[in-house]
Amino acid sequence: MKGSKYIFGLLILVLTLIGLSIGNSPDANLHLIACDVGQGDGILATYKNVQVLIDGGPGDGILECLSRHIPFWDRELELVVLTHPQLDHYGGLIEVFRRYKVNTFLANGLDSSASSYQALKNAVGGSGARVLTPQEGMVLRIGMIYLDILSPSQRLLTQEASNSQTNVLGAFSSKRDPNEFSVVAILRLGEFEALLTGDIGPSEISEILSSGKVRDVEYIKIPHHGSKNGLTLKLLETSSPEIAVISVGKNSYGHPSEETLRMLKEAGVRTLRTDEEGDIEVISDGLSFWTN
Amino acid sequence: MKYFFWGVLISLVFIRYFSSKPTYHDGDKLRVSGVVCQEPSRFSYQQKISLATLSVYLPKYPEVYYGDKIVVEGVVQKGELQNARLVLKEEEKGALSGLRKSLVGFFQRSLPEPHAALVAGISLGAKGSLPKDFWDNLTKTGTAHVVVASGMNVSLVASFLLGVLVLFLNRKKALFLALVGIWAYTAISGFEAPIIRAAVMGSIAFSAQEMGRVYSAWRALVFTGLILLIIFPDWLTDLGFILSFVATASILVFQKSMDKFFSFFPRLVRGDFSTTLAAQIGVSPILFVTFGQFNLLSPLINVLVLWTIPIITVLGIVGGVVGLLVPFLGRSILFLSYPLTTWFITVVRLFG
Repeated sequence: MKGSKYIFGLLILVLTLIGLSIGNSPDANLHLIACDVGQGDGILATYKNVQVLIDGGPGDGILECLSRHIPFWDRELELVVLTHPQLDHYGGLIEVFRRYKVNTFLANGLDSSASSYQALKNAVGGSGARVLTPQEGMVLRIGMIYLDILSPSQRLLTQEASNSQTNVLGAFSSKRDPNEFSVVAILRLGEFEALLTGDIGPSEISEILSSGKVRDVEYIKIPHHGSKNGLTLKLLETSSPEIAVISVGKNSYGHPSEETLRMLKEAGVRTLRTDEEGDIEVISDGLSFWTN
Repeated sequence: MKYFFWGVLISLVFIRYFSSKPTYHDGDKLRVSGVVCQEPSRFSYQQKISLATLSVYLPKYPEVYYGDKIVVEGVVQKGELQNARLVLKEEEKGALSGLRKSLVGFFQRSLPEPHAALVAGISLGAKGSLPKDFWDNLTKTGTAHVVVASGMNVSLVASFLLGVLVLFLNRKKALFLALVGIWAYTAISGFEAPIIRAAVMGSIAFSAQEMGRVYSAWRALVFTGLILLIIFPDWLTDLGFILSFVATASILVFQKSMDKFFSFFPRLVRGDFSTTLAAQIGVSPILFVTFGQFNLLSPLINVLVLWTIPIITVLGIVGGVVGLLVPFLGRSILFLSYPLTTWFITVVRLFG
């Protein structure tokens, strides 16, 4: 029979598909991946079927990182965070919103006049994702992953966005550097804690430190791609991380700076850079952690 | 008389080519308006559009699609329009280009990269969204032709339609509907030069078959090529057009003898192997001259991956169209292509 050839072929396809699905099933560990997105930030955290994405890098590189680290059938991201509206942090998110179902989008109301930011707002609007405005003191729980929001501060938001709507994108504009609005958060599973710092600089750092919410963590994403206008010794001492990750690519700003690298070296912190290592994956079972 | 006929056609091609070529000089300030007639190539920060024989690089957003009417300004510099600025963009409202866009969108929402781009490339010839490093791997392994809209897709769609339609209709009606299908497919895949060529040739072949004439593929190919060049003179220098023309021609010339020569091969792979090898005979010199690279293993790599192409094309088109109506069902059909694209990608990465 002629048709039986097709049925046999179909059967083989279905079986291979099932095999691939089993092979791609997630384990029971937290995977924290600093994606190699070039000059920019894009950090993915996965735990079983739950994914949290913090920033999307400048372009489509983030899509490949998601493809590498999320099972192919899972087209849903539980939470996407945009630390602040600059292209090297949100550029890749436009395609992410078009291609994945995003449940919640945590992002500042700060607007950007760039045409690509308007494209992001359209993509978010069309996706049906819930928009949430971050604020110091907020705690989010996504599956077993917790996210403690340390910044932007209450003070900054009252000063700059007192009369604007919350939970809306592009609600207000400001003359300040967008970096000052960076979302800073501690992502944790069990005992493992990671400090994610966006593009904050020394003055935001001292404000966050004065709130007393920075504690001893295992992992730090070095602020502002290792810029000399980023990490401070005080932050490094207070957070006393064991591993530091610098998300950086080819750039003309001199990131990462000599000062930052030296500071990390003198403190004896193991430092990994995305421009040297590619994707940097740290795995934790909630007690200890290791790199891949 | 016969030679006179061909002579006239060839001269017409040259007259059209030289009379229609717009002349620009470096430094000319231009405002060009036109309809985008090929899907723009997308890069990380830019999109590249071909307009009036010029390459125009625009910022990635707002995105320009095949079928959009645009107005751009810039300065001519070595065949490029530099400092280009998008003045106006009117989106194409046509159902077909809209359909193509929705299909690609559905692939992208259903599959991870580069699988989605590979399915879009193979089944629709939409190579626009292929990740750069994967594209490099394809060119290195000599398999890039599968994601560039090619004549192969047309004969696949045609024979698939015909195979299904003859189950319900008489042969004549089935052929007619298959012709309609070919042209619908041509429109969906963005009226790319090689697809139009194959569609014209396919139509002539089918019609000739229906009218009971002996079909001379060679003559049909050359005739189609010349007519197309009279209508679209700038394709004369379009690498895609030249490649698919030469590939088809060398398949016609060499395929039979290749098949005989490799008669000791198992039948399952021999057809693919002899077809690719025949095409490579004509295409390799051109690739070598234009890209400066030629992979000795490329015939082997092609044999390893080419058998997946018909299946991915059919699963992509059927899954995509079904998915626009019933997303869940369409996605399930698309997932069936995942093992095949995985195989394809693994092979290409291994040799790339």
